[in-house]
Amino acid sequence: MPQLLEDTDLREETALDVPWVTLVWNDPVNLMSYVSYVFRSYFGFSRAVADKRMLLVHNEGRAVVASGSREEMERHVEAMHDFGLWATLQKDDA
Amino acid sequence: MIPFERDDDGQLVASLTEPESALLSSLAAQVADMLDELGSAPHITDPDAAALYESVGIGGSTTLHDDPAIARLLPNAYSDDLDASRDFRGLTERSLAARKVANARAVIASLDAARSAAGELRLDAALVQSWMRTLVDIRLTIAARLGIEHDGDGLDGDGLDSGPRADDTDRRSAGHGESDDSLVMRDVYDWLGWVSESLMEAVE
Repeated sequence: MPQLLEDTDLREETALDVPWVTLVWNDPVNLMSYVSYVFRSYFGFSRAVADKRMLLVHNEGRAVVASGSREEMERHVEAMHDFGLWATLQKDDA
Repeated sequence: MIPFERDDDGQLVASLTEPESALLSSLAAQVADMLDELGSAPHITDPDAAALYESVGIGGSTTLHDDPAIARLLPNAYSDDLDASRDFRGLTERSLAARKVANARAVIASLDAARSAAGELRLDAALVQSWMRTLVDIRLTIAARLGIEHDGDGLDGDGLDSGPRADDTDRRSAGHGESDDSLVMRDVYDWLGWVSESLMEAVE
């Protein structure tokens, strides 16, 4: 059993060592109300958090909306493309 | 069009005139047709199609599409890694395109139903999701055709569209040498933004 625990810890450490992020980029088409809705309905953000991220996209050109494993971020990016939002993933080296 | 409202049973209801319904149907069909080949399993019926699928591969293309509208609907997943973008596209593009086509066709079916119900459009929760996404896909496609790609090109001129505004006048008289077709497309684009805003207000 201790072996099992050690393995779990190792895996978590590896995941934390290589964080990836999902970015949503500004575009002139998507409605602000829609982007906020997508952030709330898909990521489960509160309205305050969703609006803050949406305004970051609007004002700064992009915003980080999630971080974690590469596979997880790829799922998020595909979901954002499904919603028509312009999203990418990258290593969190910024 | 009478804007969307939530009904007692939780469905969203709007009322469309025949020309509005026909326009939305036609635009949704154009998006579906544009993405259909990318979203379909290979079914080789003629040499041209065979050549296409040869180049496209089973799961998706290898590079960003030349058509700016398709490139925007199916963008690269990695901004700084073309190899990773290609691999991701190979795995996901076909299913993503197929979902967009399915959404557009669900919108068309709901419009057909509305036409046989005196223009009353009724959307359950699943149809609301299809409508939201298809309205975005149509607007992104028109924006690509009109060259609305960067801040300053949009009607809002300031990034994310904050929605239709009452004081949106004289935009055209400012004159950017646009053709009549572009002006008509801009009117349609404006109207679609209004339909989207109406849908979002009813959803909230």
